[in-house]
Amino acid sequence: MSEISLERRLEAAAPGAWELYRKEGSSRETWRAGRERFDSFRRETGVAARWWDPAPRFAAAGSPEALSRAMGLASEPAVGPASPPAWPTGTSAAEDLPEFESPPELAEELGRLVAAESRGEATLSALTLRRGVTLERVVNARGLDVAWKSEATTGVAEAVGRRGSRSCEARAVFRWDAAGDLTGLARRLSDRATLPLSDRASPIDRGEWLLDVSVTAALLAGIAPLFVRDDPPPWALRADVLQPDLSLVDDATPDAPFDGEGTRSRRVVLVENGIRRGELHDLASAGRSGASPTGHGVRRSYRTPPTRSPRRLFLESIRPRPQRDLLATVRRGLFAAALTTPLLCDLENDRYEAEFTGVVVVAGRAQGPVAAARARGRISELLRRIAAIAPEQEFLPSPYPIGGTAALVERATFL
Amino acid sequence: MVATEGLAARWRRDGIERIAAISRADETALRESVRELLSGAGRGAPPLRAAERSTLESEGPASAERWRRRLSPLLARHAPRHRFRWTLVEALRDVFPARGEPVSHARRRISLEGDFTAASRRRDESRRFSFHAPETESLTDEIRNRLARAAEPREAPVPVSEGATDAILAAGSAAVLFHEILSHPLEAGAASPLTGLSEAKVACGDLEVRDDAMRLDLFGGYEWDDEGTRPRAVKLLDAGRLVGRLTSRATAAAASGRESSNGHGRRAEAWDPPLPRGSNLVVSAGATTGEELLRRLGQGLWIEELDAGSVELASGSFRLRFPRARRVRRGRLADELGAGILAGEILPSLKAIETGLGREVHAYRALGWCARSGQVVPVQGEAPDVLIRGLAVRAAG
Repeated sequence: MSEISLERRLEAAAPGAWELYRKEGSSRETWRAGRERFDSFRRETGVAARWWDPAPRFAAAGSPEALSRAMGLASEPAVGPASPPAWPTGTSAAEDLPEFESPPELAEELGRLVAAESRGEATLSALTLRRGVTLERVVNARGLDVAWKSEATTGVAEAVGRRGSRSCEARAVFRWDAAGDLTGLARRLSDRATLPLSDRASPIDRGEWLLDVSVTAALLAGIAPLFVRDDPPPWALRADVLQPDLSLVDDATPDAPFDGEGTRSRRVVLVENGIRRGELHDLASAGRSGASPTGHGVRRSYRTPPTRSPRRLFLESIRPRPQRDLLATVRRGLFAAALTTPLLCDLENDRYEAEFTGVVVVAGRAQGPVAAARARGRISELLRRIAAIAPEQEFLPSPYPIGGTAALVERATFL
Repeated sequence: MVATEGLAARWRRDGIERIAAISRADETALRESVRELLSGAGRGAPPLRAAERSTLESEGPASAERWRRRLSPLLARHAPRHRFRWTLVEALRDVFPARGEPVSHARRRISLEGDFTAASRRRDESRRFSFHAPETESLTDEIRNRLARAAEPREAPVPVSEGATDAILAAGSAAVLFHEILSHPLEAGAASPLTGLSEAKVACGDLEVRDDAMRLDLFGGYEWDDEGTRPRAVKLLDAGRLVGRLTSRATAAAASGRESSNGHGRRAEAWDPPLPRGSNLVVSAGATTGEELLRRLGQGLWIEELDAGSVELASGSFRLRFPRARRVRRGRLADELGAGILAGEILPSLKAIETGLGREVHAYRALGWCARSGQVVPVQGEAPDVLIRGLAVRAAG
């Protein structure tokens, strides 16, 4: 069965109210752990259909033939009717799945860098690198027919720090859009593996808080649901969310020209110069709220229907400051090098709690490691207290790219 | 309705492993995956034999509709305001090992997860419910009982105080503790504080813990592992001694014939490499009543739900998150407490488990999935009430 046959079948079942999605991808993955090595090649094709007959239906499978069977099964359960979304229109040129190279061999070099950064206290235990290409296509009942390709290199590096009888595992995920920053990765991994070995508690209970890129990225991931909810909590609707020179933006145009529903990607300013301005919409939420879709219908896999989600979220500043300036500004505070547990963000009650490892900073100078410290308080206050960010950004996969940047919080309470 | 299939060819020798995976399961995909594998490995084509496949006739919508009819009135009665997602997964796996006969096995699993609004004595509150089990006809009654229990009125919780605490892990929740501090450290290849302690006595003599994949009444069960090995029930702790670990063909080969696979090579998807993983963690019952355990506890926490756990194998530190607990004062249940985190280290915590385990064993259906190295596989466990001393506790969030 061809995709054209599927389109005809969908039109017969749900005239003017269907969408067909196809994803084709290839990837190569390498895993290195000492002398052990694992290489994998993966080629995956998936097709998915949504249709309203008038009940909403979804089916996905690995081939058009299998999708045809799955559609038959998905049509049978009794489900209440619902309105289909207002489908986007447009066409784009057809694309082919691009060729790509295997991931480079970087484990030895990264291992040397980790050992050097940690003065021999940390050892790279494993490195996974994955390089892949995908080709996606969406067609719908309104004549939309768009296709686009994308390419990504992602990875996970793991290390173990040892001091005496104590040891600590560390893990860093990364995504490289261009050449990878191995030195930065080694530094981050080394910090995570060795700082907790100090056994030293935080000597201060309040002060400035300097956030590493991964910590800022975790914070953005934690607050992102505020911009994809129909009913954000009241505290999040305050006009002044950030300092006046900071903005929060989602712009996936560098990654893909369309979202998973075929809506064109665009830059959406969520917080502009400190003031809340916008939110992110897929077709369904746009239909509910009367807003325009912003291109944020995201498919994590062809196996799941699109959901409303950020796609490439990051902070911007009118006056970014180099990271060394941010450090120099700290009179007495902590540098959070890495979270040691996932950041807790209770959006309903406007509370957060971060547990991290890092360094004491006094008068702009590092004074010694802190094995584990905690910061907790109101999310709203934390956001408004971000005084400055650094210009350099690193996009981390979590699971969509989030721009991590060093950030200085002017006041925080530590436990 | 999602219908997917995948096929992977795997080659391993001298610590080097290759997998080529295609998202179809037909002859073309087989040829493509083998060709891809050979191009990297420089090996001749392996012989292909036909397996006698298990039959998994998809009941598809009929089964889904049957469950919808069963669950709708049940949810309407016990959790009328809810946001639940239920999933019925039918999985069929065929394995063609290089040595040994091809095998085929099928499983049907049901999950019900989400939030519902329940009454408490002060005001309505949102509670989380999670239930995982293999599909059986008697499951409806079990879901009904557990949901009714979860929806019982409660006092308004007070925050957990930070510090050291003793605790009783009740209602089967101790399975999560042992999953973290025994199952993961004893997965072959893992370097942990238990490495090199084979036959050492690390816990009280009452404690017998095994991993039993053949318990098909539990969510983590299977008849064949993903390398085509029939799983064996593996004793991990026998009278408090470390006596076993979880192995796969790959780890057995790496051990140069000193051990064989005990059927714990598991993969989440066709394209993932099989890793030695736990399945169903089963703790044997003791002879102590709940009242006696409470009396022995004196002061501490009574915990029936653990909704998350993690372990860092290098340091041996672990964490368990509980959404609620009861304070125990003078051997009696007292205040309702809010969410908190228990933390400890593997060896001291094993030592801190008191002699005298509960006499009833409970399946812990809230435990359903375990993630390691990006691979999420079904797991479960059952355990009696367990009294453990000297854990660190603090409020969560």
